[in-house]
Amino acid sequence: MEPAAREDLSLVDETLEGNQLSFQLLVERYQGRLFGLVRHYTRNAAQAEDIVQDTFLKAYRRLDTFQRQSSFSTWLYRIAVNTALDFLKRSGRSPVLSVEDPELIRPTPSPGLGAPDARLHQEEVARITHEVLDELPEIFRTVLVLREFEEMSYQDMADLLGISIGTIESRLFRARARFKDTLLRLHPEFGNS
Amino acid sequence: MSREDEPVNHHCENARSLVPSYLDGELSEEQAGPLRNHLLACPSCREVAKEGKNLGRWFSKARAGAPVLVAPPGFAARVTQLAFAGVAPGAAVSPETAAETDRAPRLAPVRGTRSRPLLPFLLAFTAVAATALFFLALAVRQRALPPGGSIEAGTRVPWVQPDDSEVRPEPSLEEPDEEPEEASRDQ
Repeated sequence: MEPAAREDLSLVDETLEGNQLSFQLLVERYQGRLFGLVRHYTRNAAQAEDIVQDTFLKAYRRLDTFQRQSSFSTWLYRIAVNTALDFLKRSGRSPVLSVEDPELIRPTPSPGLGAPDARLHQEEVARITHEVLDELPEIFRTVLVLREFEEMSYQDMADLLGISIGTIESRLFRARARFKDTLLRLHPEFGNS
Repeated sequence: MSREDEPVNHHCENARSLVPSYLDGELSEEQAGPLRNHLLACPSCREVAKEGKNLGRWFSKARAGAPVLVAPPGFAARVTQLAFAGVAPGAAVSPETAAETDRAPRLAPVRGTRSRPLLPFLLAFTAVAATALFFLALAVRQRALPPGGSIEAGTRVPWVQPDDSEVRPEPSLEEPDEEPEEASRDQ
């Protein structure tokens, strides 16, 4: 077990014994990563803070149910993703935009996608990328966020989402195809000439 | 489609299914080696891999340019305070709502400590004792008052009355005024 993971488990044990400082240390260790994750679900700073706070409060309340079959970070991320999706649902955004089951839809052939123009600033690329992510069903947005922005391994994603690695691969494949189609629909100028 | 093409298509179909995992670095060397050889030999599969890389560049550039959201100052301390106060998820962010009670996780009891705080009990006991003493003093003072209930000048209060043998005659206040008149007559 990695030293960081061992430290997490020690802090968890101390928190369960009532040590307030240990829980605060856990929050400090993961608040940055959770804010980084949640920004892909909302760009509103106050809403992001609400989601992250709720995540930690839920984690504290459920800490005695953490069975250590996965790492603490994976367990915490799972709570964060579910909290973010619940937030979107409460704020009126449906978890799935289309009525079709995205798992059953085969991606339609589309023009090729070129690499982002070197003249495009990275902030503009980020804005366009999130514009496209906002259009995707949450089931696709989540796997893309976890893979492309949080750079999680397939195994960690499978543990977090409670699905098999094969399902991760399949979902990522469809998510990327849907991302490309949506990007080219919104910005056809980025297609291959 | 000729029979000669079928093995290539089969290989291509298999290769294209592995390209995303290959680009994600998730393949073992045993899987990646043959795929690399196929990509070198197959232009159409190479094109699929190139498009996958292009998409990857979108995300890597977006990663670099994404706005950074950081935790506000004091966030960890505030969240910890809310958690230990039993504030439920979904409550207001303001610490003033920390008084809300809810189910708390089943925590193991801390060894050697009392669950009931001692200080509030001591403060309450002290307040009660002080109040009792105040009323007791009032009651004793009321018993010492003469009939009528008031104290006038010169009235001796029994609990401070000295022994008569120790009382000295008080000097008269009028004596010093007589001496200056005799002195002025002589002159």
